[in-house]
Amino acid sequence: MTCRDTENLLELERKGEIPPGEQQALTRHLAACRRCGETAKVARLSSVLLGTLRQEIVPETSFYARLRERLAAAGSDQPDSTLLHAWSFARRLVPALALGVLVMAGVTISLGGLSTPRQLQATQSRQMDAFSLEEVNLPGAAELPSQDQMLAFVLMQREGSDVQGPRLRE
Amino acid sequence: MNDKEKGLEPAREQRDEAAQEEARLIRQAQDGNQRAFEALVRLHERLVFGIIGSFLRRRQDVEDLAQEVFLKAYLAIGRFRPGAPFAPWLHRIAVNTSYDHLRGIRRRPEIGIADLAESEADFLDRYVEKGYLSGGGEADDRLAARDLAERILATLRPKDRLAITLREVNGFEIAEIARSLGCSRAAAKVRLFRARRAMQAALRRLIRQDEQEKGMGDRAARGGRDDLS
Repeated sequence: MTCRDTENLLELERKGEIPPGEQQALTRHLAACRRCGETAKVARLSSVLLGTLRQEIVPETSFYARLRERLAAAGSDQPDSTLLHAWSFARRLVPALALGVLVMAGVTISLGGLSTPRQLQATQSRQMDAFSLEEVNLPGAAELPSQDQMLAFVLMQREGSDVQGPRLRE
Repeated sequence: MNDKEKGLEPAREQRDEAAQEEARLIRQAQDGNQRAFEALVRLHERLVFGIIGSFLRRRQDVEDLAQEVFLKAYLAIGRFRPGAPFAPWLHRIAVNTSYDHLRGIRRRPEIGIADLAESEADFLDRYVEKGYLSGGGEADDRLAARDLAERILATLRPKDRLAITLREVNGFEIAEIARSLGCSRAAAKVRLFRARRAMQAALRRLIRQDEQEKGMGDRAARGGRDDLS
């Protein structure tokens, strides 16, 4: 028997499954090998100590009386079971919805729904122009000129050409 | 149908009836019937008390923690999926509550022979001398052994302690331990192995210290005799 066999046999002994013949061989080896003897001593003591933790406790009658009181107190605070079911259903639905949104976003991106960088640049510059025109509040820049304004402009042009005309002829 | 199968038939029928009764009680408890829940508690009290009793010794402490377990179960029973096995669900609550309790206790550092109470040191001494314990196990010895076991287990990580106790004291299978701890079977095996090794290392250290002390005592006694002669 080797020291490695001893470990296996000690494990079988712990489970109470060691054959009687093997038990004798183990005893002989443990008496001869100091190291295995110590290992066996520790393993057996460990089993003995853990065995002492096993205890059979039967609850006293007062246990159930106290439990009933606590259940009654908790019962008034307990939410409706229908609500609980609805909540657990909703909790399962949220990840599914999130997944759906992600899939939709993926499909939109793959179909080219998002603008190219050049398009984005153009959009941004248009927004900049619009912003600056409104910001300085130029008269007539944001809206079309009125009829009076157009008439005044034409008259001014004509007057200018009348003034300039004879000079040019000179 | 052979004789063996005929013999198994009533047992199977009984099991089916018990399962149906349990399912009925669960449905009623989910509708807020406290009597039905109490009946469920009575069906499963033994194992819940067994699990908690392996971590706590005083009856009052065990009962207090058991109250917590059953109250948690009552508040959560609305979310229990009908048709699922009830016992593992309840055990998991018991294990989690025990784990919370263990986490609250400060882990002790490594222990030496000087940290042991007199009764524990005497017990260890007797064990080292004889190499085995008497089959019956006297009550005092048993108490001292439990003290020593708790002292050593208090040096382990709470989950390792839980794993070794569930396995060695409550007889849980690896799969059950894994389910209770919320980890894989491999992780549960690692925890169990680590806990056993740590426990045995602590015992080996104590035994060596005990033997050294005894050796020193013997030498001192011999020295005293030599001086006298």
